This record gives sequence, structure tokens and C-alpha cells, in this order.
Amino acid sequence: MSSNIERCYQCGQCTAACPMAEQEQAYKIRRFLQMEKLGLKSEEPMAIPFIFYCTTCYKCQDNCPQGVKIVDGLLSIREAAVRNGNILPAHRKIGQMLMDSGHAVPGNEDAKKRRLQLGLTEMPPTVASSEKQLNDIKILLNLSGFDQIVAEEKA
Amino acid sequence: MTELSLFLGCVAPNRYPGIEVAAKKVFSRLGVELADLEGASCCPAPGVFKSLDKVTWLTLASRNITLSEKKSDDILTICNGCFSTLKDANDILKEDTTLKKEVNSKLAEIGHEYRGTQDVRHVIEYLYREVGVDRVREAVTRPLNLRVAVHYGCHLIQPLKDSNLEIADKPTFFDELVEATGAISVDYTDKMSCCGAGGGARTAVLDATLKIANKKLEHMKEAGADCIVDACPFCHLQFDMGQSEINQKFGKNYDMPVLHYTQLLALAMGFSPEELGIAMNAVDTSRFIEKVKTETLENEVCTSV
Repeated sequence: MSSNIERCYQCGQCTAACPMAEQEQAYKIRRFLQMEKLGLKSEEPMAIPFIFYCTTCYKCQDNCPQGVKIVDGLLSIREAAVRNGNILPAHRKIGQMLMDSGHAVPGNEDAKKRRLQLGLTEMPPTVASSEKQLNDIKILLNLSGFDQIVAEEKA
Repeated sequence: MTELSLFLGCVAPNRYPGIEVAAKKVFSRLGVELADLEGASCCPAPGVFKSLDKVTWLTLASRNITLSEKKSDDILTICNGCFSTLKDANDILKEDTTLKKEVNSKLAEIGHEYRGTQDVRHVIEYLYREVGVDRVREAVTRPLNLRVAVHYGCHLIQPLKDSNLEIADKPTFFDELVEATGAISVDYTDKMSCCGAGGGARTAVLDATLKIANKKLEHMKEAGADCIVDACPFCHLQFDMGQSEINQKFGKNYDMPVLHYTQLLALAMGFSPEELGIAMNAVDTSRFIEKVKTETLENEVCTSV
């Protein structure tokens, strides 16, 4: 699960191929790779929230002449930012939904109604139908400290 | 009869349950039994959860895989994101004994053990490589007279590339499966580009991701497509709900029906649009449903002559 960012020589082919860069000028994958490679931690706050604009489409990686695993590299940059407390509220919420329900997108009343209309069970045959399985998920999430990562910041 | 564990993920069962229905119907017709993978959780989604904590991502993914190992079934995913996570996690754990040990020490707390005995498959890749385009075509009883904009999705192609599968190089496998239903797969600009939703971006920066989807929708419309066909409920949501969001936010008037491939194939097998949940889309699909019903009726008459 390691990346190979050190191979990057800053040609910018990644940003040239990036569909997000085309829409949002502030999103520059080349720049984030440079910061990471040079260890420019002091500039990290400027990169937030932009590092979270990546859709992980892999177009940058396909276009990279150096074979850098750019997406893995970016995900590691994000992980480090999250560890420094820079989790986005929207992502914290998704993490909390996973903690509460075992699903990042849990069911709702509308979904129940649709499922019944289509002849399915009201709740899907997943963790949503089993207290015991949900409890197993919670045990695993607590073991890896995920509960702390998505916990609300103490005032 | 072959049996696979159907991995539902989150968006299909909780937002677009018609996809769950369609997957079961088409596989049953093709002689492949899909068993529910009881107790499965979120895969977890590759972009957002790898960004938060990779060890958590890997641990939860490995738990899902152990559910299928207990049944000695391979996993069938109907979502590109689930495919990416579960295939990636399975490959990592089969290779890396240190990580496998670390994950198994956690899984032991809930009485599970990852062994690495099963494979992770994606519905499109499975139909193409195991069932075959010819058998899919033979199962069609109501050929569809439709122009389809095929959307492969990034996390269908990338895991196939990582496995060095030839079909990932210049992909036509999805188009071939679409054309087996009688439909035409239309060519359009930037066909292999992203829907915009992945990586946790839709949740975090919705408007930016809609700009990406808007561009793709423009190209699909230019090509005269009757509908979009995808293989991922999250791309599906981005295109379907995304159209109403884009119409509202950017003053557009998109009304393109979005179907998962299993829904398209089920239509071609004679199932009704209503029982496949196609009328439940955010975009109004009534004209499309009318077209399918009247035009395919003519096809049925033609093929029976």
C-alpha cells in the first residue's frame, strides 16, 4: 500500500489529464505531489480542502510517464491530513454513518417503500438486517481507532 | 448450477433497489444462482475510506470477503466501487503476509479469519468472461431498439488494468454486452471519462463534481443517446440525481434515463420496466418506458416472422 511519489519529476502531465483541474483551477495534482515529495508540511493547510477534490479516476496515473502511483500517493496525503485533524465535515459524517449502520449510504423511509414495491425485503439482507453483524463491525472499527478519527472535535 | 455471493454494497439496495432485482433476474435466467451475502457491510468505499484510514478500510473489506469464504463462493459485485475495494483488498491480503496477519488478529476478535480462497468478480467482467456475449444474446427474447451511451466507470477499468487483463486495454467488452441486447452503443466524446462522483468528492464538493457530470451528459446528448447504461450504482446516482441537480443549479434541461446494465439486459429478456424499478429514477422515464414497450413489440413481431 505504499506509493512511489519520489519518481515524480514535475512534468505536469497529471494535471493536464485531470477532469477536476479542467473545472476547478485550484485543484492541481502536480503541486500536491511536489509538496509531498519536498516535505513542505507548512504549506499543507493551503492544500485543504483541495486535496479532497480528487475523484480517483486514475486519468493522471494513466498519463504519467514515470509510472507514479499518483492516486495511492494522493490518498496517503489525505490520510496524513486527516490524522492532523483536517477531516472534512462531510467525510466525518459518512464515517459516522458507517459506525452507526455499517453502510456509508444507509437506507431510509423512501428506500424501504421502494424495496417493498419491488417485492424485496424491507431491509436489505446485509448488516442492516442483523444486530449481531452490526456489532461485529463496531468492534472492528473500534479496534482500528476509527471511532476516534470520526469523533466530533472536543470544544 | 454455479453459485456466487451477491455483494449488494450501499447505493443499490438503499437508493436504487431495482438494480438488486434486475441482477437476480438476469443471473437466474442465465443459470447462475446469486445467493445473498448475509451480514455484508459497506465495502467500504475506496476513495473516502482509504482517505480516512487505510487499515480500517482493509479490515472491513476483509471481513466482507470472509463472509463469502465461509460459503466457498466467489463474490459478485454490481458496483465499480465495491469491485475496486474488494478486489484490491483481496489482492493485497493474498500477497502481503504481514498485513494479513495484522488483519487476522483483528478479525479473530469477532471469530473470522481471512484465508484468501475466493475471487472477487464484477458483473460486467463476469458476464463477458464466464457467460460470454453469445449466451447473453441467446437469452434475449425482446431485442431493444435503443441508442445507448455506455459508461464504463473508472473503478471497473482500473482493477482490470491492475490485474493485467487484456480486456482493459482498449475496452469494448461492455459495448459488446450492450449490443447483445439489440441496442446500439453510440460513440461519444470522452467516453472513458469519469462521472465525477468518486473519491468522496460528490459528498465533499458536489458542484465541482456536477460540472464534470454535466460535460459528460452534454457529449452523450450530442451523440443522440436514448439512455445511459452504467455498471455502478454510484455513477448511476451521479447521472440520475445529478441531472435534476444540474437542471436546478446550472439551468439545464436534461431528461436522460439512466439504467444499470442488469436492468437493460432484464428488459431485453422480457421483464417489464416497472418491475425493474426504472420508473423510480429521479429523471422522468415515462417516455422511455413507452418507447421500449411499443418499439420492442415491433421487434418481437419481426423476429418471430
